Amino acid sequence: AATAPGKKITARLKRTLPVRGPQAPTLSELMRWYCLNTNTHGCRRIVVSRGRLRRLLWILLTLSAVGLILWQCAELLMNYYSASVSVTVQFQKLPFPAVTICNINPYKYSAMKEYLSELDKETKKALETFYGFSEGKSKVRRSVDEWNSTGGDFFQQIPLLKVEDFSRTATDLHSGQKRKIEGSVFHKDSSIVNSGDSNDIIGFQLCDANNSSECALYTFSSGVNAIQEWYKLHYMNIMAQIPLETKEKLSYSADDLLLTCFFDGLSCDKRHFTRFHHPLHGNCYTFNSGENGTILSTSTGGSEYGLQVVLYIDEADYNPFLVTSTGAKIIVHDQNEYPFIEDIGTEIETAAATSIGMHFTRSRKLSKPYSDCTETGADIPVENLYNKSYSLQICLHSCFQKAMVDSCGCAQYAQPLPAGAEYCNYKKNPNWMYCYYRLHEKFVKEQLGCQQICKDACSFKEWALTTSIAQWPSTVSEDWMLRVLSWDKGQKLNKKLNKTDLANLMVFYKDLNERFISENPANTLVILLSNFGGQLGLWMSCSVVCVIEIVEVFFIDSLSIVMRRQWQKAKKWWHNRKQAGSGKPPQASQVERQCHDNPICIDEDLPTFNTALRLPLPQDSPLPRTPPPNYSTLRLETAFTEQLPDTLELGQH
Amino acid sequence: MNLKKYLVRALHRLQKGPGYTYKELLVWYCDNTNTHGPKRIIKEGPKKKLIWFFLTLLFASLVFWQWGILINTYLSYNVTSSLSIGFKTMKFPAVTVCNANPFKYSEVKHLLKELDRLLEAALERILQPTPGNGSENVSPPLNLQLWNQIPLVLIDEHNKDNPIILDIFETNQTAGGNETAANNETIMDKLCALCPQCSQQGSDNCTYRNFTSAAQAVTEWYILQSTSILSKVPLHERIRMGYQAEDMILACLYGAEPCNYKNFTQIYHPDHGNCYIFNWGMDEEALNSSNPGAEFGLKLILDISQQDYIPYLSSAAGARLMLHQQKSFPFLKDQGIYAMAGTETSIGVLVDELERMGYPYSDCTMNGSDVPVKNLYSQYNTSYSIQACLRSCFQNHMAEICGCGHYMFPLPEGVNYCNNEDNPGWAYCYSSLRSSIKQRQICIDSCKETCNDTQYKMTISMADWPSEASEDWIFHILSYERDMSTNVTLDRNGIIKLNIYFQEYNYRTISESAATTIVWLLSSLGGQFGFWMGGSVLCLIEFGEIIIDSLWITIINTISWCKGLKQRRARARYPDAPPTVSELVEAHTNLGFQHEAVGALPRDGALPPEPGTPPPNYDSLRVQPLDILGPDSDAE
Repeated sequence: AATAPGKKITARLKRTLPVRGPQAPTLSELMRWYCLNTNTHGCRRIVVSRGRLRRLLWILLTLSAVGLILWQCAELLMNYYSASVSVTVQFQKLPFPAVTICNINPYKYSAMKEYLSELDKETKKALETFYGFSEGKSKVRRSVDEWNSTGGDFFQQIPLLKVEDFSRTATDLHSGQKRKIEGSVFHKDSSIVNSGDSNDIIGFQLCDANNSSECALYTFSSGVNAIQEWYKLHYMNIMAQIPLETKEKLSYSADDLLLTCFFDGLSCDKRHFTRFHHPLHGNCYTFNSGENGTILSTSTGGSEYGLQVVLYIDEADYNPFLVTSTGAKIIVHDQNEYPFIEDIGTEIETAAATSIGMHFTRSRKLSKPYSDCTETGADIPVENLYNKSYSLQICLHSCFQKAMVDSCGCAQYAQPLPAGAEYCNYKKNPNWMYCYYRLHEKFVKEQLGCQQICKDACSFKEWALTTSIAQWPSTVSEDWMLRVLSWDKGQKLNKKLNKTDLANLMVFYKDLNERFISENPANTLVILLSNFGGQLGLWMSCSVVCVIEIVEVFFIDSLSIVMRRQWQKAKKWWHNRKQAGSGKPPQASQVERQCHDNPICIDEDLPTFNTALRLPLPQDSPLPRTPPPNYSTLRLETAFTEQLPDTLELGQH
Repeated sequence: MNLKKYLVRALHRLQKGPGYTYKELLVWYCDNTNTHGPKRIIKEGPKKKLIWFFLTLLFASLVFWQWGILINTYLSYNVTSSLSIGFKTMKFPAVTVCNANPFKYSEVKHLLKELDRLLEAALERILQPTPGNGSENVSPPLNLQLWNQIPLVLIDEHNKDNPIILDIFETNQTAGGNETAANNETIMDKLCALCPQCSQQGSDNCTYRNFTSAAQAVTEWYILQSTSILSKVPLHERIRMGYQAEDMILACLYGAEPCNYKNFTQIYHPDHGNCYIFNWGMDEEALNSSNPGAEFGLKLILDISQQDYIPYLSSAAGARLMLHQQKSFPFLKDQGIYAMAGTETSIGVLVDELERMGYPYSDCTMNGSDVPVKNLYSQYNTSYSIQACLRSCFQNHMAEICGCGHYMFPLPEGVNYCNNEDNPGWAYCYSSLRSSIKQRQICIDSCKETCNDTQYKMTISMADWPSEASEDWIFHILSYERDMSTNVTLDRNGIIKLNIYFQEYNYRTISESAATTIVWLLSSLGGQFGFWMGGSVLCLIEFGEIIIDSLWITIINTISWCKGLKQRRARARYPDAPPTVSELVEAHTNLGFQHEAVGALPRDGALPPEPGTPPPNYDSLRVQPLDILGPDSDAE
């Protein structure tokens, strides 16, 4: 420590003169400088702590604080895309939803006679041979003869079979002969509940027309299901060949279906309804479809102010095999939504007043990146075949239809047609049924990928329905009610109405409260930064400034120091080689080496008079000390003297 | 002079602040503040100084910008919702049971006799347009006074420009195109039944209310007429004419405990006559239910005696029931459901509650006291509800405009119910008011929803009851219990069984809580300030202190300038206000003062040998005091 004061002078110079580049000449000094001067807490403790244990403790504490900060901030970042839910209730005038009403029976049976007579005859025949059922002996006898002569077109296409499961032989319904079943057996409904009694299994076989060895047998535990399914297959074949205009004529007109209509205390009529042809339910009528641009709204809740209709359900004209229940189906939906009556319709009983109270809920989810939903459906690679706004149901149906057209070459009857395709019928596509069943099986097992492609919509409207039923008309009012309604129906209907042909329907808002459930981002950038700041501040009293400091010190400064070291080394090596060459004795004194590190020395900037004056006296010189100035102010400021040990330590270093 | 001394001392004490010039003050502040940026400005080299200066400015502005956003967020009073589902012991809902038909026909027959005969005759005319089939000579002359007030007419609109109006009881055909123009928008190709209403008898101010269906027209007409007749009957008489509790409620079982019609509170409902409320909670404590399932719910057997219905008034038959909160009025037309005769209806209940925070979080009312509509239902001693508000609003308007109250709603003070004698034009007035969109909008705007919205979600299922095998004995016992007679007075068309019970999960509560509280605001503000600048409230106080100091400097400067002006005039020797020596001393003191912030270093007991005091460097201080201040003081 008793080296020349020259070293002290340069050390002093280092501090006093404006420094360019790193704050300290060496890495360790830089670290020291950083720790002493940084704004973060902790680092300073490490440096100023005395004792190894204490220092270790502080190092550990500081490191754990850094670790905690990193952990918590990572947590904050990961939870950034979370949503909070808010529920608001608004009391207001509500738009009345579209109400679509269908008769359960799609087409008038009397009008369909010419198309379906063959099929019905064969179905009746099947019922007789299988179950010994017949209605009116003579009629069946005749039909049997006819059938024998015609040969049974439909049975040849898809034979109904009685299956003995264990022997894997089937009795053909038509010929009565037994034959071995080829191909795989699909239990259409026994897969869920195993019936056990395999003797009664009935089903039909679908074969690939191109490759007759590939057959699939569909079995049902109950003949009711089998006959209906079989009938439906043929029915769809027949219907697919009838043009839409004809079908609309075959189905019910608005005058047929709607007897009276009353909305919001005012009378309404068929012009308030829009016809909508549903492939499975025939003509349906949508009230308040918004087609003419106006959407009715309700400003009073309660049953009197909703929609009240009396429907005429002509039970006598029902198709006996296609539908087995009587009544109407209704669905409450948004004007932009496609009514999936067959999927989510509510059934209406005849001879009863069905009162449906609605409660309106609107929901909105946040789309990406919060959740995987779609706003408009535009980002889904499935073409929307329905002329309505996107919904999951639409996507699934469209996806299936597309797969159907791609693999079977024709479209399924229950769903709309894609461009350039036409409905399947076995005149043109003899193979379609087998193809359809195969494809449907795949679809249900999620092998077509439709369920993966289709996403749910981000916003949806829901009308929660409370359905209750009362007897209508009441026994005492039945008489006059039916008389007046018959009169309403008009002169063309000669018979008196029966109460089982009528259904009264009331659809109304229970209250005008609209519940709106929405997701909001739980975090914004501002809050995220606040949380970061909170974490940094809590553990280390750090801020962005500290981060900049760290970047500055640990990356820029350290790098430059290392670089400079390397540069000096290279320079020294070069110098040494030069010296060795010239033979001069090496004079790399300590001072000079120090000088290499110090930018001041490199600048060769000599201290000026002023700066030299400000230099402190050699501290460990034996000179007697000047007594401290006796100013009162100085005495007060004890901190000033206490500051010194650090300075000393720095000097001794 | 003491005061002056004191003041001088005080002044000196204040002058011991960080500096005597703005620059000194600023440098002192930067060096000693706890915010992170400013320190760098004075500690770094000239280039970095500039960078740090701009960085600090940037961060400060960022902090203020984000603070603005945070405060805005706070003032928007957002709420978050939390949802809880489960089962807990809850108050069993109040159950209101009514008959769909308001009065026993046998009791009101004498009042409605004329009307019924009139309607029958009218129906006869409508259904058989060719008169003269011998019905007139049998019946006594009809009272056409009722008819003339509100006649039913048929309008033949084959000719759209000139529809033919046929009064059912008159043969003359009036061609009145201008009359129908009022609201006749329906253009039908067939005959339709209309119900015209004149504001004044004989005046031209008439409107026709069109119906496309005769059934509706007849029903509406009958309701208008019967309302007018029945509104003249006093209340106690109307209650007597309705269904009595002992006739209607045949059996009652709540949980395992038997109950009977006496456990029901009678209330007169204008639509449905006598209604009976179970567990209304008005007089006694509301019942709790602590078990889910039908066994622990309410079981009722009702008789609606369908044979005694008023034939033209209500065509649907059944019981009307509603679940609602205790002490609230049942609005059966809105929230009620039907139960069909001859069936057992099971209703599983889920209480769907929405608890909201009031103002300023959402615009709702806690008890309706801040709603500008007089609640007419408060006479039933019931709590505020939006339905009550809307109806009160309508009735108040009706009383104001038509001069009488509608029969369906409670009366405001000093107003009577409308009837055809006293208020001949009331039907017209009522119809126009009812269909007025503007009036509805006024009511919607003035009523507020309640903050606690409770809905009873019902899962309704039905089965035929009683079964054919059990029918006989059940009817026999129930008839015996009611009438003490062995005759069966009940049948399938009148009997209803009801089961009302809590589901397995009986509540779903959505409760709101403030998303942004003051604590949230403060921690977010602190987080922002800490994140960008490492600052805290103390830093703000520091800043405030500096501002005060700089104000002092300004004051001192001004004073000294003034003094200087005076002294210059007086040719004083020292132009500067404080003496030079003292200033230097102070400056030195301040140097020490600076170390206070830095001097938070740990100190061990034994101090190393004290270094000598540096040589008096006052000169250097005077030459270049500020440039070297920072680094120098740092070293020492």
